[in-house]
Amino acid sequence: MKKLHKKFLCTLLSVSMLAVLTACGGKDNSNSAANTDSRATATNTDTNVAADTDTNATTNTDTPAPADTSAPASKDGSVAVFYYTYGDTYISSVRAALDSALDTAGIKYQDYDSNNSQTTQSEQVTTAIAQGATVLVVNLVDTGSDDAAKNIITQANGVPVIFFNRSVSEEAVTSSDKCVFVGTDYEMAGHMQGEMIGNYLLENYDTLDLNGDGTISYVMFKGQEGNAEADARTKYGQEDADAILTEAGKPALSFYDSANSNKYLVDQAGAWSSAAATEYMQTIMSQYSEANNNMVELVIANNDEMAIGAVTALQNAGYNKEGATVIPVFGVDATDAAKDAIAAGSMIGTIKQDAEGMANTIANITANFMDGKEAFDGVDSANVVGTWRVNIPYATYTND
Amino acid sequence: MAEKEKLKKIGDILLNNAMYIIIAVAVVYIAIMRPTFIKLPSIVNILSLTAAKLPIALGIGGCIVLTGTDISAGRVVGLTACISASLLTTVFKVFPGMTSAAPLPLVLLLVIGVGALVGFVNGFSVAKFKLHPFIVTLSTQLIVYGIILMYLMRGVNNGQTLSGLADNYRSFITGTLFSIGGVAVPKYVLYSFILTIIMWIIWNKTTFGKNMFAVGSNEEAANVSGVNVMRTIIMVFMLAGMMYGITGFLDGARIASANANTGLNYECDAIAACVIGGVSFVGGIGRISGIVVGVLLLQIIFTGLNFLAVDANMLYIIKGLIILIACAIDMRKYLVRK
Repeated sequence: MKKLHKKFLCTLLSVSMLAVLTACGGKDNSNSAANTDSRATATNTDTNVAADTDTNATTNTDTPAPADTSAPASKDGSVAVFYYTYGDTYISSVRAALDSALDTAGIKYQDYDSNNSQTTQSEQVTTAIAQGATVLVVNLVDTGSDDAAKNIITQANGVPVIFFNRSVSEEAVTSSDKCVFVGTDYEMAGHMQGEMIGNYLLENYDTLDLNGDGTISYVMFKGQEGNAEADARTKYGQEDADAILTEAGKPALSFYDSANSNKYLVDQAGAWSSAAATEYMQTIMSQYSEANNNMVELVIANNDEMAIGAVTALQNAGYNKEGATVIPVFGVDATDAAKDAIAAGSMIGTIKQDAEGMANTIANITANFMDGKEAFDGVDSANVVGTWRVNIPYATYTND
Repeated sequence: MAEKEKLKKIGDILLNNAMYIIIAVAVVYIAIMRPTFIKLPSIVNILSLTAAKLPIALGIGGCIVLTGTDISAGRVVGLTACISASLLTTVFKVFPGMTSAAPLPLVLLLVIGVGALVGFVNGFSVAKFKLHPFIVTLSTQLIVYGIILMYLMRGVNNGQTLSGLADNYRSFITGTLFSIGGVAVPKYVLYSFILTIIMWIIWNKTTFGKNMFAVGSNEEAANVSGVNVMRTIIMVFMLAGMMYGITGFLDGARIASANANTGLNYECDAIAACVIGGVSFVGGIGRISGIVVGVLLLQIIFTGLNFLAVDANMLYIIKGLIILIACAIDMRKYLVRK
């Protein structure tokens, strides 16, 4: 027995040693390879996006960049960028795009991961100001009240602050003349999702109404409680679809479970995660199915993670594959995974948040602050709201 | 007097089995309100969700027997799920140089190895430096999260969710094992079953298992009676890490999308399930069957509450109460014996 143990321990140790060796080997490669690789692809995607969406902001910020990099002097001062969490897929694409935009503009920057804690972020801001950051770019954690934003503006004490992505109120932003907000009109995502769903349903009404009862039953996956974006998407995603349906003389959507007065299922961990949606969907289908004539006929999700999670559960049950019945699934974000799923036909549509457009606008405004120009100099004026805010437009993304 | 003692005895029995009584009442109530709850598709659903959450609980159970805990579990699941999803895929974003998916057994061994490695670091630090497992695994939890974030930034992935998994990987995990009454049972139920048997044998039929309980109940005594305490602790944590690796491998395909959030807080449910199943934080007490029951009971409650469309805010409160009651009952047994 003892001998057996020794053997067991030996194999375990050797396996883990091997893992260490391969892991280390891999890392060395990645350092050199990743640097060149990611640069190359970053520029590739940049040009692709510019061609796809012809955002003025992209071309505007890109043009001065070559001149800057050819000149030896990089800009004085440095930017501190605070991300609410590195764990968010969409924010990661903004981070990758912003890093490369700041690199090409020759601006020194330091990234901080606030790890979903406003306390952490506020402390990081204090540190960055003490280090002499000349511009703060903040992806606020706590969007529930103005206090966190105002606190950062007060601390900044004249250092320009650019808030982005997570919403900050007009009152807070305009309290300082060196503060702007780059975001999206967050309610638009829900409105556009609802409109996309309504139109899609009208076009395919009879095939989608699996049990032929004349109404479409749906499920709504909410990412998080107490988040303004999640609230708006949950509300408008369904309401706007209903408006289009009723206008065309069809009955409104009906939530699959009439006992649920919330009319949504929320990720318990508040992480907008695919796992939560997969497990909810699997549980739903154990009770509601085509055999019982009450199958869920439409899935609306607050983001693509949850949409993909629902697709996985549907696929495990034999739906949403080639040649099988497709339950339409809609998300928001247009992550790579969702785009792949849409191309494969297992998901119907999503709303694209333009990560590159947002990153380039932020880099543009940062450069303006450093050069002492007007904040919105060179930013597409169609997207500018008053003197305090830039809205990066959303776009629908489907297979057409 | 005799009457009083009799009443007390009945009270004791009721209290000691309070958990089971609560669950039985809940099942009956849910079944009356929603008859579909006890229909075949629902039972299969509960069983498969239980199977999915079982391996991580089986791993953590050992750490709790040692009076410890392991809060790095969820992140290890996340890391191994990301590794699996990045290698067994059709779109090679993390490793742009790859052209075809890696062989399944190789990836399985790799993720088990990665899990064992993290477990080794945990176990070694606990045993050698006499640190509390909470602190050690808190550290490794953070370290592993950092590695996940770096791993996802590798290649051309830019932190995106990993998806587009290879078909053979997904069908190996979620393919149909067999169908009863037209309801498909996924293959990972079988894998979970096998793991449970393996863990049962390790806990009950090996010297290592006996040593684990000995170290858990009294480290000094175990040491004096010739048990290699350090090796036992290291092996318990490594075994746990291997279980997390397997959980990650299963979850990668089950959810079919892995990202930095995968596995977040998994350890909370696993620890709760162990405690409910009678694995005591006092140390040296616990059974594999208890863990299985714990995971199953938690799953029954949560699926049931979902069927009843209970408000999400209430779910947190109910979960908290269940854990509190389970722990209180557990301690009560211990105090009585003392």
